[in-house]
Amino acid sequence: MADPLIDHNTASDPVLNNVAPYVAPISSHVHASGSNAQATTSADLPLRQSLRRSQSAYEPRVHDITEKFTRASNALDVGQLVKDDYFTLFESIGAIEIMDSKMDSGFLNPGETLEDDYDTLTPLLPEEIIGIMDQLLCYEMAWHTGYPLSQTLFTSVYIDKLLWPEVKILEQAQFYRGTIPDEKRPGPLLQALRAYCLALIKGCDFVIAKITSRDYFEEEDFCTHIYNRVLFMEIPMDVFLRELDAAMEVMKDTDLQINDALRSSIISRLALRKDLLRALDIDLPLEHISYSWPPIHTGIQKLKATHQLGQTVPGSFSTKMQRRLASTVPPRPIVELEFVDALEKLQYLATDCEEATRFVKLPQDPLEYQSFLWSFASRSPAPLSYARSYLATLLFHPGVLESAISLPLLDVKALVFPASSPVLDPSNWTYSPPRNALLSKPPRLEYAMLIDDFADRCGQPYMDLWIALGQNRCRLRRMLTHVIAGWDILQSDASLADETIASASAALGVAEQVFENPLSSWAYHKKLWMLEKILLLGFELDVYLPDEFAGQYLFLSLIATRRRDLLFKIEAHYNKYLSSLVQARNFPDAQDVEDALPYISSLVLNATGTAALSLALARFYIVLLYLRLVPVPARPFSSEQLRYEVRMKPFLGFQPPEVPPFEDFAEHVKPYGAYTSPNPGFDADIGNSESEIWTAIEDALKSAKEAFARVKKLGAQAARAEGVKGVWGKDVQARLASCVAAGVAVAGVKDAVLKRGEEGLGVRVEIPESGEGKRYAEGWVVGRVVKE
Amino acid sequence: MADEETPRLPEELELQYIQYSPQKEEQHLPAIRQLISKDLSEPYSIYVYRYFLYQWGDLCYMALNPPSSSLIGVIICKLEPHRSGTFRGYIAMLAVHSPYRGRGIASRLVTQAIEAMAAQGADEIVLETEVTNTASLKLYERLGFLRSKRLHRYYLNGNAAFRLVLYLKEGVALKRPGDEGMEDGEILDSLVERGAIS
Repeated sequence: MADPLIDHNTASDPVLNNVAPYVAPISSHVHASGSNAQATTSADLPLRQSLRRSQSAYEPRVHDITEKFTRASNALDVGQLVKDDYFTLFESIGAIEIMDSKMDSGFLNPGETLEDDYDTLTPLLPEEIIGIMDQLLCYEMAWHTGYPLSQTLFTSVYIDKLLWPEVKILEQAQFYRGTIPDEKRPGPLLQALRAYCLALIKGCDFVIAKITSRDYFEEEDFCTHIYNRVLFMEIPMDVFLRELDAAMEVMKDTDLQINDALRSSIISRLALRKDLLRALDIDLPLEHISYSWPPIHTGIQKLKATHQLGQTVPGSFSTKMQRRLASTVPPRPIVELEFVDALEKLQYLATDCEEATRFVKLPQDPLEYQSFLWSFASRSPAPLSYARSYLATLLFHPGVLESAISLPLLDVKALVFPASSPVLDPSNWTYSPPRNALLSKPPRLEYAMLIDDFADRCGQPYMDLWIALGQNRCRLRRMLTHVIAGWDILQSDASLADETIASASAALGVAEQVFENPLSSWAYHKKLWMLEKILLLGFELDVYLPDEFAGQYLFLSLIATRRRDLLFKIEAHYNKYLSSLVQARNFPDAQDVEDALPYISSLVLNATGTAALSLALARFYIVLLYLRLVPVPARPFSSEQLRYEVRMKPFLGFQPPEVPPFEDFAEHVKPYGAYTSPNPGFDADIGNSESEIWTAIEDALKSAKEAFARVKKLGAQAARAEGVKGVWGKDVQARLASCVAAGVAVAGVKDAVLKRGEEGLGVRVEIPESGEGKRYAEGWVVGRVVKE
Repeated sequence: MADEETPRLPEELELQYIQYSPQKEEQHLPAIRQLISKDLSEPYSIYVYRYFLYQWGDLCYMALNPPSSSLIGVIICKLEPHRSGTFRGYIAMLAVHSPYRGRGIASRLVTQAIEAMAAQGADEIVLETEVTNTASLKLYERLGFLRSKRLHRYYLNGNAAFRLVLYLKEGVALKRPGDEGMEDGEILDSLVERGAIS
């Protein structure tokens, strides 16, 4: 991703941090609530409606302000600043200095012309057609990675010609406007290039439509700015396919004198364009989507094999095109992406979208959906914005979401209402409310009404979670901290509903059959699950410094332990309920409960494993801190307590409180007092291989390993991840591998301590970097012990 | 680290650290711009500098080389109530002339800025820096900053940033916004995150 004007020294520059320059006008979370979806998002999440850019032409009005301006500026001294309260940093960053070539896109150096005099009607060699097509593909993919069209595709002189001035019908979209002499008319090769460009532009229109229909962050995820161009929005796709077909026909014509290799290379580029346009089609019916991506892979192979036949055409792309785009943004360099990299991006795009199409085949189970969304969000490399929007469109597709029973309720049912629970008995929905509103309602009707209300109530927090799972990794972590706050309120609302359920159950004499506080327990469980994810993402994204690992893993362990304990209670209820059903010889219901148990067991084991592995790592890093094997910054301006506050900020408001008081926390992360001067107990314990300081870590690792091994054995189906079986299996395996690696690391340190001589430990600990494939699981950071 | 030849500085070289003064804008501002622009792909307009210096000139510190009074390093900050309810300091720019790097000049400038903001009652100080800028991260983290967020594609070159934060007082995390609604909090946040406002 070479960016010639960006000073790459900045990356290694020790002392430069700054506000991002000229981040032009807006970066906003653009959201279009799913009008075609059953559920819609609203103000609970910080989202807002997409600002529809006006695409209609406006009438410019010119006022000459020279005289006024000169008069006004004469009244000021040089450097004197007039600033009102409405002039914000935002404005100052958007401002440019006229006549500064780096800021003023209209500034011309001596002898420089405003525009290039590139003639789009000059006949091109077949090699040059290939070269331009391939370069266009590079810019298309650079755009996909988040750069604006002005630095990518819109630097093409050909694209510009087709789009500007705007045409009414596609026939007019030519590399010229108006009438030209016959001998100037573009030949078959230029016609092929035109068809290619038209389809490319239409594809961009589809991409923008898809992305803006879902939640994304403008400029961060993707740039939808089209600079007052209209990307043939009104013209149907068939027209473009016909143009491509016609161009391919002409290319196949044997009258056309052209080397066969070049001929077929051009045809394969047109064919790939056609396949791609079809795959991007926003109206493609669900039943066809899974067939639309595989052809892209075949096309990519052909391009890869023939790219070297192409020849670049200097002048056919130019930064000067930016001057033609209505924009006050300073001139910016063209974003160069190598052809191999562009093909790789396209390949990932096709693979990710193809994977996304599998979503529509999942059984209608919100837990399967959740597993799928999580696994998709965790794909590496991270799916591009388009692929994420593609999946989100499928998720919120009415044909996918439509369900006779509320999806959140299916989730509730799976956790707290085992089959045949009286609360969900279908007969509850057959009661009518008493005519006299003052009379109390029959308890079964109470159940039904409560459940209906609760299902409604959950809709929003539930959608919010799904939306968060469709964001880029950095956003996912931050958005989860917003989503979880919504679930915190949901939990407290659910507690009220639970009281009514309890009294209805008592009145019916079925209290034994209903898990205590079912709804709030369910909300709580999900909340704790999200909290664990937030913490693990913190490790994955390198947000925590090595000397924070101990504390953060300890907190994770605390949260996972709470979730495990809650799950133990649920499991115990299932078992009790099961035996009562067996005793009553109600075997069909007993069978149903038994079938529902593996899911609970899988959850219990996962929580157990998470709690144990994080505890082991917390204790391991505590040992490392005492041994001075992780770097601890001096931090003259901070204190442990203040840093604890920074870390715990997103979780401070929760009910029940999840964040332990600082004193408790400090006591646990520093069991032997200050790291720099541990009390004598430390030396005694650390030198004793049987002491608790070591055995606690080893025991925790052992139980983590056992738990994850049992999760694996129970399988993807029990975990409700059947749809992503392969990835799920790898994920469990990665945690197992982390346990093993932790065991090795612990043994390494222990060995060094026990054999410690005069000259110190003779080992150091390396923290594997994130995102480099150096960790078995990105969220589980296991230091590597290296002999010095 | 730098292509330019490292000037042989006497070990006892004492730079002069001074606060920016608006009276000397003509003398200092061009040098500040030049120093900071060196590391940017696109220069800031003069208005960005004036925006900060006009309102928070007292939070701008410079390191000068006494013989010529040439500018070696500079830090530019602001301090104002943030919509989150905190009185928030923001380190907008920090630059040290490349041959002089690695001598603790930046640390000293940041230290002065932190102290000045703390003296004015700041609750917290924040800034963003590129995830790949290890030296900058180390510098701030040594002083006590923590990474609070990772920001996807924050910079024009497509690089991600870390938001760094330093609390100066207890109870900052519990502060809540005043009357302004939190509804569109994240929208503003994203502007902050892109460096447009803070």
